[in-house]
Amino acid sequence: MQTKWRYTIPWHIVFLLFITTLLFPILFAIGSSFRPLEEAYNDVLNFIPWNPTLENYRIFFGSMDVIQITFNTFLIASCVTLFKVCTSFLAAYAFVFLKFKGKDVLYFLFIATIFIPFSVTMIPNYLVISDIGLSDHLVGVMLPQLADAIGIFLLHQSMRTIPMSLIEVARLDNLSHRRIMKDIVLPLVKPAVTSTSIWFFILSWNEYVWPVLMLKSVEQYTLPLALQMYMSSEGGTHFTVAMAVAVVTMIIPLLLYLTFQKYIIGTFTSSGIK
Amino acid sequence: MNKEIRFDEVSKSYGETEVVKSLNFTIREGERLILLGPSGCGKSTTLRMIAGLEPLTTGDLYMGGERVNDVPSGQRDIAMVFQNYALYPHMTVWQNITYGLRVQRVPKDEVKKRANEAVRMLKLEGYEDRLPKDLSGGQRQRVALARAIVRQSQYFLLDEPLSNLDAKLRATARKELVNIHEAYRQTFVYVTHDQVEAMTVGERIALMYEGELQMLDTPERVYHQPRNIFTATFIGSPPMNVIDVSIIDDVIQVEKQRIPLPLAWRRHLAGISQKRLTFGVRPEHLSIDKEQKEHALCGTVKYVENHGDTYAVYIDIAGVEWIALHEYRNWTQGETVYLTTESKRMHFFDRETTLSLGYPIHFLEEEQ
Repeated sequence: MQTKWRYTIPWHIVFLLFITTLLFPILFAIGSSFRPLEEAYNDVLNFIPWNPTLENYRIFFGSMDVIQITFNTFLIASCVTLFKVCTSFLAAYAFVFLKFKGKDVLYFLFIATIFIPFSVTMIPNYLVISDIGLSDHLVGVMLPQLADAIGIFLLHQSMRTIPMSLIEVARLDNLSHRRIMKDIVLPLVKPAVTSTSIWFFILSWNEYVWPVLMLKSVEQYTLPLALQMYMSSEGGTHFTVAMAVAVVTMIIPLLLYLTFQKYIIGTFTSSGIK
Repeated sequence: MNKEIRFDEVSKSYGETEVVKSLNFTIREGERLILLGPSGCGKSTTLRMIAGLEPLTTGDLYMGGERVNDVPSGQRDIAMVFQNYALYPHMTVWQNITYGLRVQRVPKDEVKKRANEAVRMLKLEGYEDRLPKDLSGGQRQRVALARAIVRQSQYFLLDEPLSNLDAKLRATARKELVNIHEAYRQTFVYVTHDQVEAMTVGERIALMYEGELQMLDTPERVYHQPRNIFTATFIGSPPMNVIDVSIIDDVIQVEKQRIPLPLAWRRHLAGISQKRLTFGVRPEHLSIDKEQKEHALCGTVKYVENHGDTYAVYIDIAGVEWIALHEYRNWTQGETVYLTTESKRMHFFDRETTLSLGYPIHFLEEEQ
């Protein structure tokens, strides 16, 4: 019994430190968002709100159309997720179940695009979107994000586990590709599709650099841009208000994650093992 | 409608490797044909070409008199049972059986009627709402069969359907398959590497080896009159003894031993100029004796293997190993024994071409 304790206590300490490091910024944001600005400035690291106030939230909701901004963020994230999952699903289906010339080379090229940094494509994308007149427009934010090789890769990994004979039985039944996708492949890769969707949603929800480049008018802003208003040279340094925005930004993805966490964890572990 | 399947110079290659070489044969309407052969002989590829799951490299495939090279799988009117059963894991037994029909827009009453009949026939009552993962291997196999039956297709293809079952289940499943075929009489093509399955299920056997058809005939002929050495040694367990011999002055010479060539064979082989032949005899057709006998080959017992109902006695004759089956175990290592066989149990093959030299005509008449 004693040896068991001696063995486990150091590990518990390591994990505790690890979790604290992960949770600290989140607790800091939540705590600070309920503190008066002056008090927060005097003692930054002590984030526990001894004199809790809703002032920061009042300032945020009073100075901006929060509903509109949240809606913008939600609209972009939902459309991007929907499109990206659809394109990834179709591409992965083709790469796994169809036979065509150059399939392996093409798949390799697709996967290679994962390793191209955003900064490389940022300027060309900006020029193209401006040229077609979609800058400062939500569609302009969405457009370059509608397809992603990561999604193809994740769904490809998941579809590969479906035995080919299932698809062959369907072909003998004279099923169309649409039917095979809807009735056979989709139900079998549903956990992967769900978790990929959640992941895409969170990525797009948190996206900062691209919307900053694209969006100029406040009514088109997304939540990460609103956050910047209180933390930059233009918006001053109302960091407690910024923390309130951060908390609002966090709520929807957090709810999504809590609802679907079983799928998300499942996908990442299974794509690693298989 | 004529439901035969005809291969006309059909071959299949993957890159440089030719897995099926110029096949020419016909599967008759309504027959049970077994594609038999060791693994990698091209039998499954042949079946998949019939199903339209593999395109032909060269040649033409005809089904029901129509060239089907470019006809997609779904339009060939085929039901197929896969080795791993290929049941949809997210659908219940009932959904698995009826899904194909529902997609084809078969009227609901008809779907129900056919599925109920199949469920009854394959004793799946009470399992309709279960998922495949909650079934045993034998039950899954029966669901796969039920799903194929309800389609009422003209062609019924089975790719090693029993290989995942244990020996006892396999015996009952074989009978079930024959019953199903007797009931519906589709053109039935069955792939297996198991010769017992081939013998029990098949009306005709197509034996394949290295992508080539070795023999296509009834199970009896394949066993009693093999067309070549491969067929002779592949069918039967333990395999046929095949030994190089010379025939000089109507005497068979096995190394230094000589036995006279029986009269019937003397006449039959008279016209054959090549006298260096391969002689074959099945272990079950060799008699062993401790006493010296006339026209017997003399050898030494190497070891004895227990096969349950019989014993396989391994005998050394001038450095070549022969196998004989015997009822009793009363053989000791190193003992001298004498082997004889009946003339109608002998086989002779051309050493160059490995082809059978045929059989004296009255032997053939006796077989029939």
